[in-house]
Amino acid sequence: MRIFHNTNYDFLGKRKKFYFVSLAIIVIGFTVLFTTKSIPLGIDFIGGTELQIKFEKDINISELREAMDNAGFAGMEIKTMGSDKDILLRTPLQEEGQVVSDKIQQGIEAKFPDTKFEVLRLDKVGPKIGAELRRNAIFAVLFSLIAILIYLAFRFQFVFAVAAVIALFHDVLITIATIAIFDAIFPNLRLEFNQSMLAAFLTLVGFSSNDTVIVFDRIRENIKLFKNENILDVMNKSVNSTLSRTVITSGTVFLTVLVLFIFGGEVNRSFAFTFGVGIITGTYSSVFVASAIVVDWKERTTALLKDKVAKRSKITTPKVKKVNA
Amino acid sequence: MKKNLSRIITTIVLIILSIYFLYPTYKDYTLNKELSKLSGQDSIEFVDKNNQELISAREKRLKLGLDLKGGMYVVLDVDVVKLLEDMARKKDEQLTGILAEVKEISKTSDELILETFKIKLREKGLNLKNYYGEIRDSEADVESKLTSEIDNSLDRAVEIVRNRVDQYGVAEPQIQKIGNSRIIIELPGVSNPEEVRKLLEGTALLEFKLVYDPGKAVKVFEAINKMLVGDTSIAVDSISANKISEDSLKTKNESLTSKDTTKNTSASNKDSLSKSKNTSSSITKDSLKDKKIAADKDKKDKKDTSKNKKDTATDADTSLVETDTSAESDTSAAQLSEEEFKAKYPFFTLVQMNQESGTADGYVKDSDKDKVERILNREDIKAIIPTDLIFAWSNKTFDAEGEKIHVLYTVKRDAEMTGKVITDARSNIDPTNNTPIVSMEMDSEGSSDWARITGANINKRIAIVLDNVVYSAPVVRSKITGGNSQIEGMANVQEAKLLEIVLKAGALPAPVKIIEERSIGPSLGEDSIRAGISSSFAALILVALFMVVYYKFGGSVADLALIINMLVILGVMASLKATLTLPGIAGLILSIGMSVDTNVLIFERIREELNGGKPLRTAVDLGYKKAFSAIIDSHLISIITGIILYQFGSGPIQGFALTLIFGLLANLFTAIIITHVIFDIMIEKGKNISFG
Repeated sequence: MRIFHNTNYDFLGKRKKFYFVSLAIIVIGFTVLFTTKSIPLGIDFIGGTELQIKFEKDINISELREAMDNAGFAGMEIKTMGSDKDILLRTPLQEEGQVVSDKIQQGIEAKFPDTKFEVLRLDKVGPKIGAELRRNAIFAVLFSLIAILIYLAFRFQFVFAVAAVIALFHDVLITIATIAIFDAIFPNLRLEFNQSMLAAFLTLVGFSSNDTVIVFDRIRENIKLFKNENILDVMNKSVNSTLSRTVITSGTVFLTVLVLFIFGGEVNRSFAFTFGVGIITGTYSSVFVASAIVVDWKERTTALLKDKVAKRSKITTPKVKKVNA
Repeated sequence: MKKNLSRIITTIVLIILSIYFLYPTYKDYTLNKELSKLSGQDSIEFVDKNNQELISAREKRLKLGLDLKGGMYVVLDVDVVKLLEDMARKKDEQLTGILAEVKEISKTSDELILETFKIKLREKGLNLKNYYGEIRDSEADVESKLTSEIDNSLDRAVEIVRNRVDQYGVAEPQIQKIGNSRIIIELPGVSNPEEVRKLLEGTALLEFKLVYDPGKAVKVFEAINKMLVGDTSIAVDSISANKISEDSLKTKNESLTSKDTTKNTSASNKDSLSKSKNTSSSITKDSLKDKKIAADKDKKDKKDTSKNKKDTATDADTSLVETDTSAESDTSAAQLSEEEFKAKYPFFTLVQMNQESGTADGYVKDSDKDKVERILNREDIKAIIPTDLIFAWSNKTFDAEGEKIHVLYTVKRDAEMTGKVITDARSNIDPTNNTPIVSMEMDSEGSSDWARITGANINKRIAIVLDNVVYSAPVVRSKITGGNSQIEGMANVQEAKLLEIVLKAGALPAPVKIIEERSIGPSLGEDSIRAGISSSFAALILVALFMVVYYKFGGSVADLALIINMLVILGVMASLKATLTLPGIAGLILSIGMSVDTNVLIFERIREELNGGKPLRTAVDLGYKKAFSAIIDSHLISIITGIILYQFGSGPIQGFALTLIFGLLANLFTAIIITHVIFDIMIEKGKNISFG
C-alpha cells in the first residue's frame, strides 16, 4: 500500500497564500484571546486553591454556589466535571496555612450535611511558587528555542536555522490562537494553561522541529544533487519526496494523541489537545513556513546577486567601450 | 555476520537486563494481588511469611508517582520572618511592625528576606545589632551570624520533618532539600492531608526524659511476653536469621558530663570519659542464651548485672525471681532449642536484649519493627504497661547481619525538662582523644533545673527525645552545674552533627510553612492509572496494526522494535529508581510516536531505493544510511528540549521529560541497531522482505 507516491505538488509556489492563512488564524485567535479573556491560567501559574470533589449523589450547583458565598468565597469558580456529582472548585484566594481548603470543606458540610463527599484532589499553590513556575515556563520555551537555533545553525546553513525557529514561533502562536478559539466555542473542553499544557507546548516545539529537520535534511541532500536547478524546484521536490513520510508520521502520532485525548482522562486532556493542534501546525509549518522562508530568502539573495552582477556588468561595459574607443 | 554478532549480543543483554530490572515490579504486583485477596489475620500472616520478598520487591519495583498512586506532595518554606522574630533578643512594637511589613513584601518579592528586613530597619533608623547583637559585635558579624542561623534552620527543619514523617508511618516517603530554604516532601498513599499538615507545621518538641529503670523495664517486657505466650494469634517469625550475632550489637555508651572549665571538674571529666569507654559493651554470640537466662530469671546472672548498676531497685530484682518459679523453666533453660525458645519467648525473639549492658534497651530488626509496634499497640498489652512508661524508638539504626537494627527504649512518660532552655549546641572533636563530642549550653533557669536533675540521677541515663524519638541516651556522670554539658560517645562526626541539630531544634524551632500542596485521593489515582494505561495500550495497538498493514513484514519488525523499546524504557526507569507519573505515561506515548516515525523514515527511504531499481540488500543498507542524518538530528533536538524541560519543569513535568529522554535514547538504539540486524540476517538467509 502506498499513499502520496511520486507526487509533484507545487507547495512552495503558493506560499504567499499560506502566509496569509497563518496570519489570519493568529490575528483571529489573539483577538478572541484578548476580547474574551479565554484560556484561563491554571492555579499552577497564578497561585490559589483547587479542589476536586466527588459527592455521593447529585447536588444542586446553585445551592453549592450559595454555600460558598456564605463561607466567604463569593464568586468562586465552580464547575461540574461530567456529572453533578463531580465538582471542581477553584479560588485564587491565598492565605497562610490551609485555611482556604478547610473553610471550603466546612462550608460544604454545613450546606449538605447529609451528602457525603470525598476530596479527590487538592492543589494549593502559593503565589510565590506560581510566579516561579511562570518564570520557569518562559525560560523553558526560550531556552529550547535558542538551543534548537544553535544546533541547526551547526548542522545546516544559518538561514535554515532562523527559518526553523520562526516556524516554531509560528507553531506556538497558531496553537495558542487555536486553543483560544476552541475554548471560546467549546467551554466544556475546560482547557486551561497549566503545567501539562506547558509540557505540551514544549513537546510540540520538539516535534515540530523534528518535522522541519526531516524536510530540511532532504533539501540539504537535494541541493547537492541538483546543483543547477532552480531552488524552488529543488525544494518542492524535497517536500514531495518526504510527503508520504510526513503524512504517515504525523498521522500516527496524531492518532496516539487522539486516543490520549479521548481516553486519557481529565488530567491529560489539555496536554492532548494542545499537542494535537501542535502536530497539525508543526507539519504544516515545516513546509509552508520554514521551507517557504528559506525559498524567499534564497530567491532574494540570488536576485540580489543577479542585480549586483547586472550592475557590475553595466558599469564594466562602458569601460570596455571606452577602452575600445 | 561478525559485524552483527556484537549487535545481537548487545540487544540480548539489553533485553535480559530490562527484564531483570522489571521482574521485582511484576513480583510486587503479584504479591500484592494475593495480599489483597486476604483479610484480617490471614493478611498479617501472609505479610509475616513473605516479609523479605515483599520488602525487596517494593524497594526495586518501578516507582509510581503520586498522581498515579494517590498521596500528598508538599513544599515547605522556612518561615524566615518567624525565625527573625524568635531570634530577637527583645521584641518591641517597632520590631513587630517592621516584621509585618517584611512579611507582606516577601509574599511577592524575590529579594532575600534578610535584605528586605535590613532595609526596613534602616528606614526606621535602626540596625540588626539593636535586636540581635551584643555590645561588642559589629553589624557585619551580626548579619553573618543571622545568615548562618537561617541556613542552619533548614537542616533543622529537614531533620524535624524527617523524624515526624518516619513516625507517621508512610511507606517510601521522599524528603528533599531544595536550595536554601525549601523542603519538598512526597507522601504516597496519605489520605488525610489535614493530619499531615498539622504534623509538618507544628512546633518541634525536644525533651529530656529519664530512661526507665532497667530492672522494672525488663519486668514489663516479661509481662508482655507472658501475654503473648497465652495468645496464639501472634505468629512467631520463622526466619532463623533472627539471631543477631557477636560483635554486631555494639552498644555505645554515651555519657553526659559537665563542661565546666574549673580544674576539678575537668579532671573528673577525663575520668568519666575513660570510664565510658570501658563500659561500651557488646552483645555476644550467646545473646540468645542471655535472653533465655534473662527470661528464665537466672538469679545469679541477674544479681551480677544488678551489682554493676548502682541504682537498680532491689524490689525489681526480687520480683523477677518471683514472677516465674516453675521448675521446668529453671532446669531446662540452657537446653531449649531455638524453636522452643521462640514458642516460649515470642516477644524476646522480636525484641532482643543485651543482658550484660545493664540496660533494658531492646534491639529490633527492621523487618520486625511493624510487628513489635502492632504488639505494643494492642489494647490488652497496653493495659499491662505501667502508665509512667512509654516506648520510644531510636532515630538511628545500625547494621547487623545485613539488616537494620532499631533500638527500642523505655523512658518515663513525663519529661524532666524541655529543650527550650538550651541556648546553644555545638558539635566538636575532643582534642584530647579525637572523638566527636557535642557541647550544649543552657540559660540560667535551665541550668539550675539541669543541676538538680543530673545531681539526682548520677549514673542513670537521660534520653534526649525529639518528638518522641530518642536521639541519644547518655549516662549522667556527674552533677552538672552552670549549664554547660558535654555529650560524648558518638560513633562519628555525622552523628555528633545530627545531635547538634536536634539540640538546636530545642533552642530555636525552625518554623516552616506550606507554600505548595497537592493531594490526590487514591481513587483518582486509580482512575488516572487506568485511563493512562488503557489509552497507551489502545494507541500502541492501533499504531502497530497500521504499521503491519502499511509496511507488511517491515512493519512487523518495527512493531517488535517498538515492544523492545517500551521494555527498555521501563527497565531503565526501574533500574535508575525513576518515578513513573501520568505525564510520564504521556511521554511514553510520545516515544511510541517517535519510534514509529524513525521506522517510517527508514522504510520510506528503502522503498525509494527499491523503486530506483536497487537490489534488496543495497536498498536496505542505503535506506538506513540515508535516513541516519535526519534521525540523529531530530532525536538530538528532541533530547535537548527534553533536558531543558527537565531543568525548568517541576515534579510532574520532569517525569514527562525523563520518559521522553529515555524513550528517544532507547529509540535510537532499537531503530538503528535491532531492526537493521533483523533485516541483515533475513537477507543473508536469502529471504525476501516486503516493505509493502
